[in-house]
Amino acid sequence: MRIANRLRRLVVRRLEETHGMGVLWASSWLLVMVLVGCGDGRTPLVLYSPHGRDLLELMERTYEEQWPDIDVRWLDMGSQEVYDRIRSEAVNPQADVWFGGPDTIFSRGAEEGLLEPFVPSWADSLPPASRHPDELYHGLYEAVPVLVYNSDALTREEAPRDWEDLLDERWKGEIIIRDPLASGTMRTAFGMVLSRSVSETGDTAAGFEWLARLDRQTKDYAVNPALLFEKLIRQEGLVSIWELTDMLFLQQRGVPLDYNFPTSGTPIISDSIGLVRGSPHPQEARAFIDWVGSRQALLLAAQEAFRLPARVDLPREELPEWAQEALDQIVPATVDWKLIAAESNAWMSRWDREIRGRG
Amino acid sequence: MSRRRQALGGMSLVLVLVWLVGYPLLITLLEALGIPGAFSLAPFLEFAGRADEWRALWHSLWISAASVVLAGLVGVPLGLVFEGVDFPGRRTLGALVALPVALPPLVGVIAFLFLYGESGFVSRGVQAALSLEKAPWQLSGPGAILLVHAYSMYVYFYLFTRAALVRIDASILEAAASLGAGRRRRLWRVTLPLLGPALVGAALLTFMTSLASFSAPYIFGGGFRVMTTQIVASKLNGEIAMAQVESVTLALLAFLGLWAMRRAEPGHTAVVGGVRGVAPIRRQLRRPLVRVGATALGWGLAIFLLLPHLTLLVISFVPPGTWTTEAIPPVLDGSNYRSLASAPERLRPVLNSLWMASVATLGAIVLGLSAARSAVKRGGRMGGLLETLLSVPWALPGTVFAIALATTFSVNRPELGRFVLVGTPWILPMAYLVRSLPLTGRSSLAGLRQLDPSLEEAAASLGAGRLRRVWRVILPLLRPAILAGASLAFITALGDFVTSIVLYTYDTRPISIEILSSLRLQDTGVAAVYGVLLMVVSAMAFLLWGRERRA
Repeated sequence: MRIANRLRRLVVRRLEETHGMGVLWASSWLLVMVLVGCGDGRTPLVLYSPHGRDLLELMERTYEEQWPDIDVRWLDMGSQEVYDRIRSEAVNPQADVWFGGPDTIFSRGAEEGLLEPFVPSWADSLPPASRHPDELYHGLYEAVPVLVYNSDALTREEAPRDWEDLLDERWKGEIIIRDPLASGTMRTAFGMVLSRSVSETGDTAAGFEWLARLDRQTKDYAVNPALLFEKLIRQEGLVSIWELTDMLFLQQRGVPLDYNFPTSGTPIISDSIGLVRGSPHPQEARAFIDWVGSRQALLLAAQEAFRLPARVDLPREELPEWAQEALDQIVPATVDWKLIAAESNAWMSRWDREIRGRG
Repeated sequence: MSRRRQALGGMSLVLVLVWLVGYPLLITLLEALGIPGAFSLAPFLEFAGRADEWRALWHSLWISAASVVLAGLVGVPLGLVFEGVDFPGRRTLGALVALPVALPPLVGVIAFLFLYGESGFVSRGVQAALSLEKAPWQLSGPGAILLVHAYSMYVYFYLFTRAALVRIDASILEAAASLGAGRRRRLWRVTLPLLGPALVGAALLTFMTSLASFSAPYIFGGGFRVMTTQIVASKLNGEIAMAQVESVTLALLAFLGLWAMRRAEPGHTAVVGGVRGVAPIRRQLRRPLVRVGATALGWGLAIFLLLPHLTLLVISFVPPGTWTTEAIPPVLDGSNYRSLASAPERLRPVLNSLWMASVATLGAIVLGLSAARSAVKRGGRMGGLLETLLSVPWALPGTVFAIALATTFSVNRPELGRFVLVGTPWILPMAYLVRSLPLTGRSSLAGLRQLDPSLEEAAASLGAGRLRRVWRVILPLLRPAILAGASLAFITALGDFVTSIVLYTYDTRPISIEILSSLRLQDTGVAAVYGVLLMVVSAMAFLLWGRERRA
């Protein structure tokens, strides 16, 4: 006891003499550094991905169980943000795998030399359109934009059933959409409108006019999907455009949101995966890409995380019920993907500058 | 010998500061002009030819001007009341009123969203009370930005006003009174003109802060673009050259502001800066009814100002997915805190922010103090240069600085002082450090100026060496000044969002980024928990400063 007291007095005096604050600060900092520096000896594998916690945690958990010496780490952000980040870090890449996002964004990345060629073992099972000619990226899942509505406020029949319905007078001020600049889904939906305009009329004027009318209907642009859902759930707006997977997740949680597949067709996004050029752990990254496109991992993603596989060799009856139903109802739209990939940035920039919020 | 060493020390400090502060900007400007490579004005011409760029510039300017007016309208009367009138609870309330300054920008904005947003407590309450079918208002666009700015920036006016009021000599007011000036006339003709320089200072501070503001326009702006959000949108869309041109333009605007600020620096008027008299006595409220009224009003105000903090606290106890259309969340429990505590991975951002903010603050103290000491000792042009360099980062909007750092330190040219730092854990603490320099530097300058040089001379004549003099004489004497600067620097770095969003990596993701991504992942409650943690640590640092100041 006495010793402890003396020790305490000593420490206190020491602290007073040496300007306690500084010492306290320095020592707590050291402690933190030690905590931060504590790796567990596993090889880290960094994924940049827009896929969201559900899928990412599922993949992390399953993969780490099979490869105990790998530490899967992920950063979740908008798919355009993934591209921006990988490009910004091109001189000193931090990511190993570019995991997800529409192939239109990947093709920009491929042009700018952000990807490393790699042929996964499952590449031959893909439809030709989902495969990059130089093997820089490959389609993994299929993402389907749908028309979303609040099912407490609207019935399926009342809700918009096709893209044109969004411009109906009834939905003026009732539409909330995700800020399209950062979102691959929205960029694709807008891209479809513009590329249709090009193929039907020869230029984008009609498409931009359509988007301007949509903007006049739109009440708000949400900064991220979560805020979008929150606003829709709370009926700040009733109608939106979003992607099937998230809708199924929300419904599973009992959230009052439902969707219609657009009757005139919806652009089926080839949600891709690629190896980052200069990745710190290329070997591990290749192994991961091989695994995540394997039959086992794709079925797991379909069952647990509502992802439609891009591979065409998986027997339909092995897919979960929701996927079989969706495949029955989806009308694929014919879309000029090359045009969208080439023009998307310019189109979105023009939309952002000339159309957004002008209504 | 010693003089030469001193000159050498001064020079190397200037070099380090130029490299950290000025060089990245210069590189950004050069790259925007196409250098190295063919010189081209094309991006600048494109910028000048685009209506939307001018619109964003104009928005930035008028939002900043309007923020000054609003913040002044709130802050000055509050300062006058708290310094001029005595009522129960004045001291405690006076401290509480300054709290918004300790709310990190992103956290404040999110709290506002939950409070006054369409589905927030207040709007839900109003909607329910008036049984409206729709939310009574929408929190978006310039109105929402101004609301957040007024809330977080009136504190500058409030603090400056109070500080200046204490310095006013009561005899001047007494003279005016004896000449027959009434209370109102004294306020308009004597007090307010005397406050002039302080108000100018607060106005410029507010102007610069809202010019650099990013979180509020990012979350509430939508199609309403200001320069900071325009820069990030351009970068996101892959238009790097345009982002650089926009950064350079915003930097120019900010420097114009800094120049105006230095010209109008308060403290040069004869009356305030002259012989210090006795501060005016506070008016006592005697009538009991008035006293009760004033007290109630004061506490009402304090609760109103604390609402964002309280909102965040409440949201942090709402389990995920349980709150839909009700006015008040139906379930409250600690599940968000438990989910954070049970996953060590999710505590990483907190540790990251803590170590980066600590390193940055320590570095900023050392660098800021050495530069300030050198500036004070040497004076002259080198001193002036050092002082300017110390205040430049403060004028520079965080977005601009982040773009400049990302541009400069993504190239490996050691002979040009450029290294690849992008993607390493060092670039964020470095950014925080530079952004903290003005806080630690300016407070050290102020402290050193008040220091009697004979103290150090005495120590020197007793045989104390340089290090010993700094450690045993200067540092203890400057402790309050340094701690004041350091705690503010620490708070700023801890809550930083603007520079982090451009420069973070997996290993260094700070709290603010984790808040944003929790929101993205629909973990509203967890985002609020992070917000609460940030708030608590910031408040602790803030209080530490307050205690030191009193001591």
